[in-house]
Order: sequence, then C-alpha cells, then structure tokens
Amino acid sequence: MTALATLPPAQFKSELKPIWCPGCGDYGVVQAIYRALSAIGRPPHEIAFISGIGCSSRIPGYTTAYGFNTVHGRALPIAQGLKLANPDLLVLVAGGDGDGFSIGGGHVPHAIRRNLDLTYIVMDNQVYGLTKGQLSPTSPKGLKTVTSAYGSLESPINPLLQVLSCGAGFVAQSTPADMPGLAAVIEEAIRYPGFSFVNVQSPCVTFGEEDQQVKAHKGRMQSLASKGHDPADYLKALELATHYGVELYTGVFYRNPNPPATYDAQVRERQAELQKTAVPRERILEMFQKG
Amino acid sequence: MATQGINFQNLSLKDALDLAVLIEEEARDRYLELAEQLETHHTPEAAVFFRKMVRVEEIHRSQLDKRRHELFGDMPMTVTRAMIFDIEAPEYDEARADMSVQAALQASMRSEKKAHDFFARALPEVRDEAVKALFSELRDEELEHQRWVQLELDRAPGEPNPAFDDSDEPVAL
Ligand SMILES: Cc1ncc(C[n+]2csc(CCOP(=O)(O)OP(=O)(O)O)c2C)c(N)n1
Ligand code: SF4
Ligand SMILES: [Mg+2]
Repeated sequence: MTALATLPPAQFKSELKPIWCPGCGDYGVVQAIYRALSAIGRPPHEIAFISGIGCSSRIPGYTTAYGFNTVHGRALPIAQGLKLANPDLLVLVAGGDGDGFSIGGGHVPHAIRRNLDLTYIVMDNQVYGLTKGQLSPTSPKGLKTVTSAYGSLESPINPLLQVLSCGAGFVAQSTPADMPGLAAVIEEAIRYPGFSFVNVQSPCVTFGEEDQQVKAHKGRMQSLASKGHDPADYLKALELATHYGVELYTGVFYRNPNPPATYDAQVRERQAELQKTAVPRERILEMFQKG
Repeated sequence: MATQGINFQNLSLKDALDLAVLIEEEARDRYLELAEQLETHHTPEAAVFFRKMVRVEEIHRSQLDKRRHELFGDMPMTVTRAMIFDIEAPEYDEARADMSVQAALQASMRSEKKAHDFFARALPEVRDEAVKALFSELRDEELEHQRWVQLELDRAPGEPNPAFDDSDEPVAL
C-alpha cells in the first residue's frame, strides 16, 4: 500500500455546516478540494481561500484554510494582492459563473496575463443560484428563467475558450459526477506553477436544468485522456474548448509544458535586485536633509 | 463509487479490514451530513431515516473495527479515506429538500447496491484467501442490508419523489 497522506481530507473540513440546498453540486466540489489539499500536504494555516459572492462563494467557510468571502466579482483582485503580500501562501480562488464571468469578468484577463501562482475554481452552474435563478453569462441560449421568461436571446460566453485565449497556463474542466477526476484536476491545478483555471460544471438542483444535473453528467461526460488528448497541444485544446456547452469534456485541456516565471516570483527577484543598491533604512532621512 | 491507489491483488487482510472499516465510516459520516442538510431544509421525516442509517453504519463500523483490533491490535493503518469515493455512502446528489421517506430509502437502497457491487467487482482480483473470504462475507451482508431496506420500503408511507426513480445509472463514456 502507498504511504499515508500526512493530513487526511477531514483535516480541511471546518465546523461550519454548509447551507447549500441538499443535492447541490458544490458539496462535491468542496469534498474534492479537501482531497486535493490532503494530497498537496500543506497545512491549513498555509492556505488562503478567497471567493466572491454567490452560493458557490460560500466555499472558503467550509474549509479550515484562512478564508475571505469578499465582494461580488472581486475575488481575483483580492487574491492577487494577497499573493503578492505573502507569496508563501497557497492561494485558492473560487466563485460562480456570474461572479467570475459577468461582474468579475474584467479581472480575469488581467489575472491571467499577470500570471500569479493562483488556482481559480469556477463553479459553473449556468445560473445565478444565490439570487434565485436569473440568467448568468454561461446560461444557454433559449433558457427560460425569471429574467428571461420567453427564453434567453443571448449566446453564452465560453469560459474555457476565454481563459485559453488569454494565455492561462493550466486549463481544466470537471464535474462532481466524476469525484476522483475532479479531485485530481484540482490537485494538478494547484501544483501548476502559475495561474491555473478549473471550470467545474457544478449542478444547481434548485434552478438548474435537468440535463445539467449529476445524473445527466454521468451519461454525457467524456474524459479528454480517453480521447487521447495531449494537454501540451495548445491548438487542439482551443479546438476542444469550442465544444463547451455541447460536449462535457473532463480533464486537462491545456498545461503549458514550459511554465513562464510567475509575477510573484519576478517581483521577489526584482525586490532582491533593488535591495542591493537600496539606501539603508537608517539613512533614508539623510536624503531629505540639506547639506 | 470509485477507488484510488488500491491494489486488490496484493491486499492484505489488515488492509482489507481497514478498508471495510473506512467504507462504513464514510457511509456513516455521509448519512449524518445528509441528515443535517435535510434538518436545515425542513425535511424532518427523511432526516430521521438518515439519522437511523448513521446508527446502523456505526454499528457495522464498530463490529469490523473490533475484528481488526482483535487480529492486528494497534498496528498502524496503511490505507486512508482518500482511497475511497462513495463506496457505500449515498452520493450528495441523492438528497433533496422535501424528499419523502420513500425517496430516502431508495437512495439508501442504491447505496447498499453500490457497496455490494464494490465487493463483487473487487473479488475476482483478490488473491489472498483470507481477504477473499472477508470480501465474500461483506458482499453477502450487503444483500442482507438490501433486504432490510426493502422491508422498510414496503412499510414506508408516501410516494417516492419522481426524481428518485430506481433506474440504472447511465454509464459514463
Ligand atoms: C455588487 C453586487 N451586485 C449584485 C449582487 C447580487 N448577487 C449576489 S450573488 C449574485 C450572482 C451569483 O451567481 P454566481 O456567481 O453564478 O454564483 P452561484 O450563486 O450560482 O453559485 C448576484 C447578482 C451583489 N451581491 N453585489
Ligand atoms: S440555489 Fe443552486 S447553487 Fe445555490 S445552493 Fe441551491 S442548488 Fe446550490
Ligand atoms: Mg452560478
């Protein structure tokens, strides 16, 4: 038998009881996160979990990591600031499709091009769950909701294609219908040295569509590995990502085989370099004194 | 239902017993979580049934744990909960606010069937005779549990929720 993980998954489960609707896909996501963190082996006090606002954004509270349930759409800017201030922290970011791709959508390309070492997990349920089932940016065209009584006229955005085209170094997708696969991609995303993105098709049992539930996912999901996809093939990853909303591909779309230096590492390097010629703290005052 | 990193061919009796204990522990903990969810979401009757399952799974767990300690004392465990995914534990997807007792029982029936299938599928891979005997015994016990749930189902009031039919799970590609 393999060696025991030093920190069992239960170590990452907090005392706070989730208030998600029974059956919500987010229960599976938080379980997968406990497992991924257990495999990573960093203790809870070395992990910070930042989220926006939404049902999915409650997730940090259900872990024993440091958590900040921030402002709608602002998880990424806060997480980036935190990572810069304390680069030794393992920083996880999470939220919903609305949080990440409507109100927070403007932050996504910039977080990606800066390439801080963060893992961003989006629980994509194609609806605004917390506010009771309005259209979200990933809702399929024609979806009838409280804000689209006759069916949505808008085409959904494609989160996978968007993050890939912005240059994210690690892009994956999964579903709670495949718990081992979900835990594995979250672990792999955390291990990737740079910005990593995991789109989790996490069903909303209360406002979501029947064909978006776990049972339907079990019949539809197709693993990219079983299709022979090579995650180093960026162009193929782009092509596969165009099927978002039609096919349910699971696994790693893209993993940059040559990860570039992260922003946080470069900042540290520059700080060390400038430190060499910096005026010692006790002499700063002299610079402002005459004579 | 899935496993990770378990080599059934080389499984020792100690590891097999520990796995069996962990499977019951996982089921017990999940029933407790589902019961708490249903209590929060005003579904007390189904929650009472899930709490009953917490006690049932704990009895199974402690019986297996006792056997493990009689045979192997305090020898350290070399298997973990991270190696098993929802073997006998009902999946999160099984719970719904306002679910009937019938629907809760059907969820439990599916879990007992999953556990039976786990032991039945693992058995052809197992080489150790003592592990084979243990897994056969546990597989048959799961059939016994299914009969017990069926008796409860026959007595349970109300209709199952339409969303909780007993059809086979679709097979993943
Ligand atoms: C600035 C601001 N605008 C709007 C809201 C209302 N609001 C809260 S959550 C939410 C959308 C949640 O949807 P999503 O991010 O997809 O999360 P889910 O609940 O589906 O997990 C909205 C619009 C808010 N809290 N703050
Ligand atoms: S409303 Fe939907 S997303 Fe929110 S907790 Fe309920 S099932 Fe989950
Ligand atoms: Mg949403």
